[in-house]
Amino acid sequence: MGGKVSCTLGEVKNRADLIIYWGGNPAECHPRHFTKYTIMQKGKYVPNGRKDRTMVLVDIRETPSAKAADIFLQVRPTKDFEVITLLRAMIKDQPVDEAAVAETGLSLEQLRDLVARMKACKFGVFFFGMGLSMTRGKHMNSAALLTLAAEMNAFTKFVAMPMRGHGNVTGGDVILRYTTGYPFGISLSRGYPRFNPGEFSTIDLLIRGDCDAALILGADPGATMPQPAIEHLKRIPTIVLDPKVTHTSRLARVHITTAATGISAGGTVYRMDEIPLPLRPPLKGPYPTDEEVIRRIREAVAKKADWMPGMNGVVAAA
Amino acid sequence: MLRITGGQVYDPANNVHGVVRDLCIENGRVVADVSGGRTIDASGMIVFPGGVDVHTHVAGAALNFARGMIPEQQRMARAITRSKVQRAGIGGSTPTTFATGYLYAGLGYTTVNEAAVPILSARHTHEELHDTPILDKSCCALMANNELLLDLFEAGEFEKAREVTAWLIYAAKAYGVKAVNPGGVTGWKWGKDCKGLHDVVPGYNKVTPGKIISALAKIVDDLGLPHPLHLHCNNLGAPGNFTTTLETMKLLEGNRAHMAHLQYHSYGGDDWYTMKSESATIAEYFNAHPNLTTDAGAVLFGDTVTITADGPWQHLLYKLTGKKWGNIDVENETGCGVVPYVYKEKNLVNAVQWAVGLELLLLINDPWRVFLTTDHPNGAAFWRYPEIIQLLMSSEFRKEELKKLAPKAMKRIILPELTREYTLSEIAIITSAGPARALGLKQKGHLGIGADADVAIFNAGKDVARMFSYPRYVIKSGEVVIEEGEIRKTVDGKGFLVKPHYDPKIEDYIRPLFQQVYTMSFDNYPVEMSRIMHPDIQPCMPHNL
Repeated sequence: MGGKVSCTLGEVKNRADLIIYWGGNPAECHPRHFTKYTIMQKGKYVPNGRKDRTMVLVDIRETPSAKAADIFLQVRPTKDFEVITLLRAMIKDQPVDEAAVAETGLSLEQLRDLVARMKACKFGVFFFGMGLSMTRGKHMNSAALLTLAAEMNAFTKFVAMPMRGHGNVTGGDVILRYTTGYPFGISLSRGYPRFNPGEFSTIDLLIRGDCDAALILGADPGATMPQPAIEHLKRIPTIVLDPKVTHTSRLARVHITTAATGISAGGTVYRMDEIPLPLRPPLKGPYPTDEEVIRRIREAVAKKADWMPGMNGVVAAA
Repeated sequence: MLRITGGQVYDPANNVHGVVRDLCIENGRVVADVSGGRTIDASGMIVFPGGVDVHTHVAGAALNFARGMIPEQQRMARAITRSKVQRAGIGGSTPTTFATGYLYAGLGYTTVNEAAVPILSARHTHEELHDTPILDKSCCALMANNELLLDLFEAGEFEKAREVTAWLIYAAKAYGVKAVNPGGVTGWKWGKDCKGLHDVVPGYNKVTPGKIISALAKIVDDLGLPHPLHLHCNNLGAPGNFTTTLETMKLLEGNRAHMAHLQYHSYGGDDWYTMKSESATIAEYFNAHPNLTTDAGAVLFGDTVTITADGPWQHLLYKLTGKKWGNIDVENETGCGVVPYVYKEKNLVNAVQWAVGLELLLLINDPWRVFLTTDHPNGAAFWRYPEIIQLLMSSEFRKEELKKLAPKAMKRIILPELTREYTLSEIAIITSAGPARALGLKQKGHLGIGADADVAIFNAGKDVARMFSYPRYVIKSGEVVIEEGEIRKTVDGKGFLVKPHYDPKIEDYIRPLFQQVYTMSFDNYPVEMSRIMHPDIQPCMPHNL
C-alpha cells in the first residue's frame, strides 16, 4: 500500500462527476477551486457543469463550503481515519460493526449511500485538506484516504489530491525532490541528502535547538510554529526574506525586503497538481528578488574558507 | 587543445576498429592536428566516442513523482557528497538531477534522450534537464494520446493534425515525437485500455491504436524530424504480446520508426504461468526490415522502480505486486504510472524478461539498429549498463548467470543456445555510434574531424564490467570532466530541439479548443526558449523511404 493516485486539475474539470472534499474548506481557503477546476466548470464529458456533478463535503463542522455541497457529512472530530477504514471495508462488501459506525457520528445509511455513489460514478475524486492531514492521525489519515482512492480503481476511475496552499509550497517540494531525492525533512549536514521527518523537519530541529542559524524564505513560522520553536528562532541569528514585515521578521536579526513574486518578480509557481506556471511580473519594484538576494549571499559565503563534510550544519527552513 | 595519444581508437562510424592513433581536440571539436596543449597518454587504453542513450527517463514530473515515493530505496542509494566541483545528491534507481549528470558521465556517456515528456509539464522537464550537468540532452514529447490530435484523426483531418503536431513539438521545445500505448492511455482516463491495434479508443468512434500509429509515423517523416517516431507499443508486458508487436511493425512499413524497449514487447504464452520468449520471431521480422531501429530495454535482477506513461499497465502491475502505486493522468494528453518493483532470479516471469532483453541484443544481427538501454529505471538503473556489456561480450559469463535461474525457466528462453559474443567495436556501436545515428545527431557518436569532442577512455582489461564502470578519462566538449575515476570539472550541456515547419495560423485553430479543455492559459503553454540551456536547433529534412 502507499503511493498516490492522482491527475492534473483539467482531468477533474473535464470528467469528474463525483467530487468529495474531505477536511477542507475550499470556499474560504481555495476560493477559485470551485469555479476554475471543479463543480462549476462545464467540462468535455460533463457538459452541463454543476448539474452533471455531485459534490460531497466531509468535515467536522459546517463550514461555508457546506452550502456548495449536495451532501454534507459531519464526522465526529478525530474519527476521519475510522470513517475511511469503514469505507475501505464497505467497498469490498465486508461486514462492519454498527457500534463502530455510530462512533464516527455518521449513520450506516449515510455511509452506504456514499459507497453507492462512489461505485456508480464514472470519475470520482477526493480533495483532502489539513482537516484530514494535520489532525489526529496525520499522515495515517492521508495514507488511508490515498489507499481508498487506489482501491476504488477496481470499480471505477478514482483519484485523490491534497489541497495544498501557502503560495508555492508545491514548487518547493518539487525542487527539493529533484535536487535531493526527498520532498522535505532533509539534512545536508553530512554533505549528501538524508531524509527523516521528525528528526530533520524544521520544527523538530528548532525545538531541539540543533541549528545555530536560520534563513526563512516564503514562510512565516513566527506566526504558525509551536512556541518552543519560535523561542529558538529568537535566540539564533534568523534572517527573513519577505516582501512584507512578518511575525518572523519582528523576532529576526535581519529582515530583507524582497520583490513580491508574481507582482514585481518573475519565476515559476507550481499548482497543487504539480503543473508549473510561468510568472510574468506586471510591475517593476525597487526591491531585489529572493533569487538575487540568495545568489549574493551564496557568492559571499563561497569566498569563505572551504567547507568540509561534518564541520558545520546546513539547515534549510522552508 | 588536447591530444590523446597511444590509445586504441574505436570509431565504427568511420570504420576505425581498434587502431592505435592520436586524437586531437580543439574548441570542443575533433580536429586533424593540434600543436601544444595537454597530451593524455592513453597507451594500453581504448578510446570510444562518448556514449549516447537513446531511451532513458532522467527528468520530468513522473520521475520526480517516483523520487518522492521511494524513500526506502533512496536511503540505500549511493551518496554523492558535495565537493568543490560537484553538488550533493543521491544515486539509486531515480538519481537526483546533478547526480544523473555525474553518474552518466562516470560511465563515459555524454548525450541522453529523455523519452517521455508531457507537453503540459514540459516546462518542468526542462527545469530538471537544466540542472543535469555535463550531458547534452534531447527529449521526446508524448503525442499518441493527445486529444487535440485524436479529435483530428477522428475527423480524418490529417493535414491539420500534422500542423498541430509541429506546433506541439516546438511548444514543448522537444526533439522528437513519442507514442506510448496509443489510445490506451486515453482509455485509461475511464479506467480502460486498448490492447489490440483495432480496438476503438474509448470516447471515440473511429480512432484505433493502429490509425494513430500510422498517422504519427507518417507525420514525423513528413515533417522530416531527425529522429523517427519513438514508439512504445500497445499491450506492453503482457504474455502473448509479440503478436501485437509484429502487427505494429507491419503497420510501419513505408515509414521509419524506433521501437522502444523491445524486450517488454516480445513475449509468448497465454498467461503469467505459460509466458515465454518470442524474441526469435520478433528478431527475424526486425532483421528483414531496415526501416526500424530499437533499443533493448533489458532487465537486470534487483530493486528498481517502474515509471511509464502507460497508466493501465501500471494499475495491473500494482494489482500483481500489491506494492505502492502512483498515477498522474495529464489532462487531454497522457498519463503516468509509478510502481516500485523487484526483479528476482527465481521468478519465472522475471527470468524470461532478463533473457529476452539479452536475446534481442544477440539475435538482431545489425548492431546499428539495436541499442543498449534498460529503459532506465524500468529494467534497471542506467549505471548498471556495464553488467549488460559483460553479458554480451562473454557467453561463458552468460552460462554462469543462467545457473542462477529456476531450472523451469530454461524451457521458456533461447538464451542458452546463443553463442554470439559482442566485439568492442560492436559495443561502441550499440552504446554510441548507433543511437547517435538513430537520433539523427550527426556530430555525436563518432570521432571524425568536426565531431563533438565527447570521448570516453577505458583501461583495456579482461574484466569488462569493471572496465566500463570506471573510465580513466571522460572528455565532454573537449573538457576533461573525469580523470582517474573522479569528477574534475563539470560543464553545461546543450539542449537539442527541432522547429518543424508549421503555418502560424494553426494557433487560431488550437487556441479556442485549448481554452475549453485545459486549465492553463494558452499563452502559458509553450515553454519559453529562455528556459533551455544552450539550445541547439537541429534541422528537419523530409524523409522518403
